[in-house]
Amino acid sequence: MKNEFLQIDVVKDYPEFRLTANLTVAEGEFFSLVGPSGCGKTTLLRLISGLIQPDRGRIILNGQDLTAVPVAERRIGFVFQDYALFPHLTVGENIEYGLKVRRLPATRRRERVDAMLAVFEITELAGRRVQELSGGERQRVALARALAPEPFLLLLDEPFAALDYGLRRRLRRELKELQRKLGFTAIFVTHQQEEALSLSERLAVMQAGQILQVGTATEVYSSPAHPFVATFLGDANLIPCVAVPTAEGLELHPQGGRVFNLSDTGGHMVQGGETDTTNAHFYMMIRPEDVVIDTVAPIYQGTIVTWEYLGYASYAEVKTDHGPTLKILTGKETHFALGARVGLSFREPALKLLPINQK
Amino acid sequence: MSGARNRPNCLALILIGLFFLPVLAVLGQAFGRPNAWPELLGFLRSGQFRRVLAFSTSQAFWSAFFSLALAVPGAYFFGRYRFPGKRLLRSVMILPFMLPGILVVLAMVVFYGQNGILNTWLAALFPGRDLVFTGLYGYKGIILAHVFYNFAFCLRMLGERWERISPKLEEASAVLGAGRFATWWRVILPLLAPTIGYLGVLVFLYSFLSFTVVLVLGGYLYQTFEVLIYIEYNNKLRFAQASMLAVVQIFLLTGIIALQRWTQRLVQRQSGEVNLLPPLRPRKQPVATGIFLCYLAGSLLFFFMPLFFVLYRSFKKRGLPDGAWTLDNYRQLFGAGFRFAVGRDLWTVVGTSLALAITVGLVTMVLAYVLARQRRQKPWGRIDLWLQLPMGISFLTFAFGLLKLVGHALPPALLIIWAQVFLAFPLVYALLRTARREWGEEMIEAAQCLGASGWELFRTVELPLMRKALSSAFAYGAALSLGDLSAVLVLGQGKVITLAVAVYRLIGHYNFPQAIALGTLFMLLAVVLFSLVEGGYRGKGTGGRWGE
Repeated sequence: MKNEFLQIDVVKDYPEFRLTANLTVAEGEFFSLVGPSGCGKTTLLRLISGLIQPDRGRIILNGQDLTAVPVAERRIGFVFQDYALFPHLTVGENIEYGLKVRRLPATRRRERVDAMLAVFEITELAGRRVQELSGGERQRVALARALAPEPFLLLLDEPFAALDYGLRRRLRRELKELQRKLGFTAIFVTHQQEEALSLSERLAVMQAGQILQVGTATEVYSSPAHPFVATFLGDANLIPCVAVPTAEGLELHPQGGRVFNLSDTGGHMVQGGETDTTNAHFYMMIRPEDVVIDTVAPIYQGTIVTWEYLGYASYAEVKTDHGPTLKILTGKETHFALGARVGLSFREPALKLLPINQK
Repeated sequence: MSGARNRPNCLALILIGLFFLPVLAVLGQAFGRPNAWPELLGFLRSGQFRRVLAFSTSQAFWSAFFSLALAVPGAYFFGRYRFPGKRLLRSVMILPFMLPGILVVLAMVVFYGQNGILNTWLAALFPGRDLVFTGLYGYKGIILAHVFYNFAFCLRMLGERWERISPKLEEASAVLGAGRFATWWRVILPLLAPTIGYLGVLVFLYSFLSFTVVLVLGGYLYQTFEVLIYIEYNNKLRFAQASMLAVVQIFLLTGIIALQRWTQRLVQRQSGEVNLLPPLRPRKQPVATGIFLCYLAGSLLFFFMPLFFVLYRSFKKRGLPDGAWTLDNYRQLFGAGFRFAVGRDLWTVVGTSLALAITVGLVTMVLAYVLARQRRQKPWGRIDLWLQLPMGISFLTFAFGLLKLVGHALPPALLIIWAQVFLAFPLVYALLRTARREWGEEMIEAAQCLGASGWELFRTVELPLMRKALSSAFAYGAALSLGDLSAVLVLGQGKVITLAVAVYRLIGHYNFPQAIALGTLFMLLAVVLFSLVEGGYRGKGTGGRWGE
């Protein structure tokens, strides 16, 4: 990381779990924290904002150690899941609030509020009470309020969770554009993989208080470092297998399937503790779209037990004869019949081997 | 999340201590002497105990029964239809419940008394038939007053519950083949039952503890334990005997309170959205509309006319219904007759009442809020439960214990404030705690992230959000102080004269014209406080919708 704008290295203990996080975020970056509910991503966000204090560790923003700085002086914007707009204030007053408590002169405040109203295209809402607003409008007001005091960093805690799918997609695009235009640094929390993949430059996948993997969207999707990451971001087949090194590469023994050779080990091994690959056990990770129907030299033979036509594609589950049930996604022109026999193999470049000992 | 998870709350402990010391003093006085147990057993075997217990229980039962029986038909219309003026009617309904007991008694006398409005009307309607209602001072009158007190409140609560029972359930029941009666019996009634049970126990409790009404209307024939304690103390000066009675009452109340808690939990378990109700259309539903209008007219006549006639007769010569219009009654409030009967001049009485009410309102509100704020992130726990216990102790018991404990060390006014604060505390605390938790922490956190802290955070966010709940809390404490008669009678020791005491003394001197005039002033004061409470209720009821 050439630009270590935000450095986090904290531990927070709870009776039921421990949160440990070690992260760096660059200036101007759009970073996501993604994981199932209860994994600690919101807690991490609250630690960064100063709403809660870490038990150990430090948070450094722009070279300044924030750990002992009170929330109100951190200049970190926060967009809450339910927006937390002040019901006793109008839209304009909500946006003005952060400027007012920072004692900005009235003329500067008015300029800034007008600018924010214009950026978010809500000028006509300025005099409204917040409870008269629609979900999307509230969302804009919440963003405008958080950005008005020009925070060093903007934290967003599942800001689209309460909105319907179409609106969510539109606001997502708008947020991304806005971030590019204004250049603020943002950390975005979500439990939706699609949101995380589409929004962020880099993301961290969390589970049970741990950060499992940090990387760009493509890295994390195509080379998950952990079985959980593979299944949480997108759909994945995880097939237990044994890998035996050979002269050309690896000889793979997938559970209940035909032994086959993988020509080049370079791109397939995902980091992990196993340096000795002799007869090592792995998960073979293969995405459903990378499973192909193969009548010539199939690795698995099986029977179709589920078939769904999705419009843009066809999805099927195949109960293999001696191995696991596999999920496959094929082109929309492929039509399956329930109970039909098929042979399956894998697109080799997409195949990844994950260490099995990580649970 | 501040790491103070298991630290005991000092304020709560102090409050609990300040509350239980007087109660312990009562227990100490009752049992800390020779012959305590034989005397107690003797009393429990006596005819007096049986008589008081039988009267208290039976009148409380019938009061609860009639309050609910009269409320159910009205609740149906409030729970099933929309009609103009519904909101206003509903807020007016809580008024009798907030009125000082002595005013209720006064209104009853004005309307139902021997020379009351009702008898004037009966004489005018049926000349020569000699139809006269004479039962006010007695069993019937006491129940009438208790129903007057509680009926409208029951109607309102029941109607609000009914609104949350989806009309779709009735449709589903009908589609499944149930007739209207079967639907009512098998669907609606079981859903209403917890609320009915809860209200029934509540009215029973209030009537069982009734003091002012029974003291004035019951004479020597009818006494609740509360009145008996007062008579032992005030007329016979038998302190130990009074303490023993208080202890007996505490034990009897324990059972009722347990019942009340149980029904309360049943009610809290229920939920449901307020449903969109169809309007009541006079053209299409002439019978239903007719019945409802008759019902409304009847309830207004019997329950609101008495209040109106307090006002009306205060402007009549000598307070008589057929007297000439005059301001004499008010002028006499400044005269020697008033000072003779009451013992203080008018301004002192009004000033004392207001000073006490405002102090009690503020102190209760601040204490309850500080505690509610400290415990905002904790679930409802044992400390909260302990703080609710004063609800199960009567004013008189508490006042009595306080007198025993520090009666000679502290001035009467301070004792009264102490007693009233602690008796108002449970409800005020519950109200503020709920309201404080309703907003969650997000608003506060949002303001912190935007740069607000300390006093500014409190002033710009917390206070505006809590304003309605706080004004409601203040008004409740103040209203309770204003209406209290028993604690002032016991702890004031004749030195502190409030409006309630003044009205009581005027009635005692049969000085009705002045009692009515003073009662009118008193009522206006109570209405002001009541409207403050209502303002708060509305904000809460809409669950965070603002600016209505």
